[in-house]
Amino acid sequence: MKQLRRIVLYAGLSIAAITFIYPFLWMASSTFKPPVEVGSLALIPHDFTLDNYRTMWARAPFGRALVNSTFVATTITLAVLVFGSMTAYAMARLNFRGRPALNAATIAVLMVPGQLTLIPLYTLIVQLGWVDTYAALIVPYLFNATAILMLRQFFLQIPQSLIDSARMDGMSEPRILFTIFWPLSKPVLSIVAIFTFMGAWNEVLWPLLVVREQNLMTLPQLLTVFALGGGAGSVGVSLASAMVLVVPVVVAYAFLQRNFIESMAGSGIKG
Amino acid sequence: MRAEQKTASLMAGPYAAFLLVFAVYPIAFALVLVFLQWDLVTAPTFAGADNIRLLVHDGRFWRAVVNTFVFLSIHVPLQIVTALALALTLNRQLVGRSFWRAAFFLPVVISGAVVAILWSQLYATDVGLINRLLLKIGVSPVPWLTDPRTAMPAIAVMVTWKNVGFYVIIYLAGLQYIPRSCQEAIEIEGASAWQRFRYLTLPSLLPQTILVVTLSTINGFQLFIEPYVMTGGGPLRRTYSVVLYLYNNAFAYQKMGYAATIGVALALIIGIVVLAQRRLIGKAEAL
Amino acid sequence: MPSVTFEHVTKRFGDATVIEDFDLQVADGELLVLVGGSGSGKSTILRMLAGLETVTSGRIRIDDRDVTDLAPRDRDVAMVFQDYGLYPHMTVRDNLSLGLRLRKIPRHEIERRVTWAASMLGLEPLLDRKPKALSGGQRQRVAMGRAMVREPKVFLFDEPLSNLDAGLRAQMRIEIGSLQDRLKTTTVYVTHDQVEAMTLGDRIVVLADGRIQQIGRPIELYRTPVNRFVAGFIGTPAMNFIEGTLVADGGRMFFSAEAARLKMRAGTAESSEPITLGIRPEDLRMDFIPQQPTHGSADFDTLTGRVVLVERLGGTSHVHFQVGPHRLMASVASDSLPEVGHDITAHVPAARVHLFGGDGRAIGRTAEIV
Repeated sequence: MKQLRRIVLYAGLSIAAITFIYPFLWMASSTFKPPVEVGSLALIPHDFTLDNYRTMWARAPFGRALVNSTFVATTITLAVLVFGSMTAYAMARLNFRGRPALNAATIAVLMVPGQLTLIPLYTLIVQLGWVDTYAALIVPYLFNATAILMLRQFFLQIPQSLIDSARMDGMSEPRILFTIFWPLSKPVLSIVAIFTFMGAWNEVLWPLLVVREQNLMTLPQLLTVFALGGGAGSVGVSLASAMVLVVPVVVAYAFLQRNFIESMAGSGIKG
Repeated sequence: MRAEQKTASLMAGPYAAFLLVFAVYPIAFALVLVFLQWDLVTAPTFAGADNIRLLVHDGRFWRAVVNTFVFLSIHVPLQIVTALALALTLNRQLVGRSFWRAAFFLPVVISGAVVAILWSQLYATDVGLINRLLLKIGVSPVPWLTDPRTAMPAIAVMVTWKNVGFYVIIYLAGLQYIPRSCQEAIEIEGASAWQRFRYLTLPSLLPQTILVVTLSTINGFQLFIEPYVMTGGGPLRRTYSVVLYLYNNAFAYQKMGYAATIGVALALIIGIVVLAQRRLIGKAEAL
Repeated sequence: MPSVTFEHVTKRFGDATVIEDFDLQVADGELLVLVGGSGSGKSTILRMLAGLETVTSGRIRIDDRDVTDLAPRDRDVAMVFQDYGLYPHMTVRDNLSLGLRLRKIPRHEIERRVTWAASMLGLEPLLDRKPKALSGGQRQRVAMGRAMVREPKVFLFDEPLSNLDAGLRAQMRIEIGSLQDRLKTTTVYVTHDQVEAMTLGDRIVVLADGRIQQIGRPIELYRTPVNRFVAGFIGTPAMNFIEGTLVADGGRMFFSAEAARLKMRAGTAESSEPITLGIRPEDLRMDFIPQQPTHGSADFDTLTGRVVLVERLGGTSHVHFQVGPHRLMASVASDSLPEVGHDITAHVPAARVHLFGGDGRAIGRTAEIV
């Protein structure tokens, strides 16, 4: 009886897992299939081909989009880590006028839905003349309120005597942050890094608004435009372009799975 | 300390400036835009309450709002049930637990655009994977994304699938907080598995359930890339989402004032819905 | 020349005044202990001296140099913290040397000082470990070593022993004392533990509510506390107190309270205000005379009471007894002890009695101080 229940349990789990993994495996295999085969449920291509990738690469600047996405997401992540922890350090451990106001403002900002500020932000970018620039993709994301609150929370738990010792040892405040706090904050820094990078990497609505020039498009945007505009022409090609976006993430996920799960779940709970 | 004050303003000042420009100003300007007509080319003109009046009588807007509620009515309950079921399963002694967890979480890390493109293929009427599977068990093809009755539910199922791993983690965290002594106490009292779930597990997970409801609701109101890629809002505008409408007003029709008005209205609706949900859950809890 | 000088130092946090008009001079090479309960302001005084807290008003000098507005790194002081404040991600060696490297001290000099401190504290085998791999006592030594290598003008200790267990605390207390004896560096030491204060301090400052209650050598505080607070705070077990009044009778002064009448020393001034009499448990001499229903002998130098509790500590024991409404305690040798419920007589030597007026100040003994 107990045996049977375990078998049912694992069979159920396997079916569930297949539901989550199979579509991606099917997607990956379809990109190596000729058009006639795409409809098949089989995962091993009968007629293996790289045509889908050649076509995709030739028809739209995916290489360029990969560079754009990497550049934008990396810059944003570094900025959020460096500027965010400087802000969080001040908010957690320094006394200054306006600190309560800044705390309150940060929490308030998180409660305002993004849809409210989307259009005014867009008009701001237009007026700044930033349409079709990296600035439009990067600058509005240089600071992240969720990240600042998470870092602040973590920094609050570091003993005051460490700060005092470092001050007595003659360190400046930024130096305390980067040589004492950072090494102690690796868990929270990695959480912030992952969810910031993933957010920037997958963002599509904002680029769709502020970038029209193909050479400046990020991957998800180019992918969407490419698939919708009929540029792909076939299912295999459009899925092949999606692979450019998926593969780096899945590789990173395979290695840092635990960190990914903690990070993305953590950001949602805090944010 | 004057020195501390100075250091702090150097460290936190840029963020304060950023907040002013990229948070406070946009919020304030959103409220200004509601009363403007502006195509971003010519100078903005004062429009009085035109935008508001237009919005109140705008069938397309209200269609999108209704669509969102249809989406939520399927997505939210389905999300709770699936996430809870998977979390309870994963909470047992399992071989390869982190593998199962990783499998369910996989779609969470994949871009929504990719998921939408992938599922367009899965849902395709003639060659789609789902219909082919159904065909094998003798069900005739369903036009998932082209039938006005099934299009929005199909999208809701897909979004639930994409996000469930995220909510599983939330429930799993909540399950860790149920004290072992409570579990043992209820077992000693001779409760059945269902009674244990009904009287201990489910009430203990209330905070997580509130979180799931709130986050999946807010997420539902942000629905954009799925209809944008999969249906374009059709068929018969049945999958038109509020953000898609907002985007089109700004991007396709260059009506900044009206798009901002939609944004403000949407924010208000989100606030009201989330508060109402909290009230309802709070009342349910009191019972 | 004093090494450290506080002049009219006041510290406010918002509306709350933590330290008011604080004056103090610490002599060169002296170990001065600041002792007081929580909220007495002792740590704030130390942190102001370190430069970790600002001063609301007043000046602080180190060797005649005004350091009031200087950053901690410019004051030439080093500090040992209650939870040590060791950098968890650095080895002991790096913890010791970081402050010197930041001050651009030549490498060979850093090497010399680290070796010196490590050998003095027995840290040589631990230099490449991280703090997590050390015991509490070892961490404490590293924290001291970090202060020593700086070769500062002044050492500051902020309750350095309170995170250690009792045995280790006694041992480290001795080590700190002998270390300071050898180094002869001016030291300001903060603690809430009066035993630490008594054993370590050249002088002790007793603080309460941000004000100095008394400054003096340990034995002075013990023998001639200037007020009831100091009397109760210094000395273990704590002093007994009885509330009463002074009455003159036949040219002598008597202390009178319910169930108690004691003859006072000649020269005790008359006073109409309520008086508190204090007598240390170790100054009470106990007569173990069961079944003798006396209410004070004719000499009026005894109290009669009933034993309610006997705590046996080994060589000595604490006998708690009730005299009318007053609960008193005597510290006596353990060889002969009364039993609970029996009556005893306690002799109160007039020379050892402390008297405190209504405002808590000691009266009648000022002439005898020192």
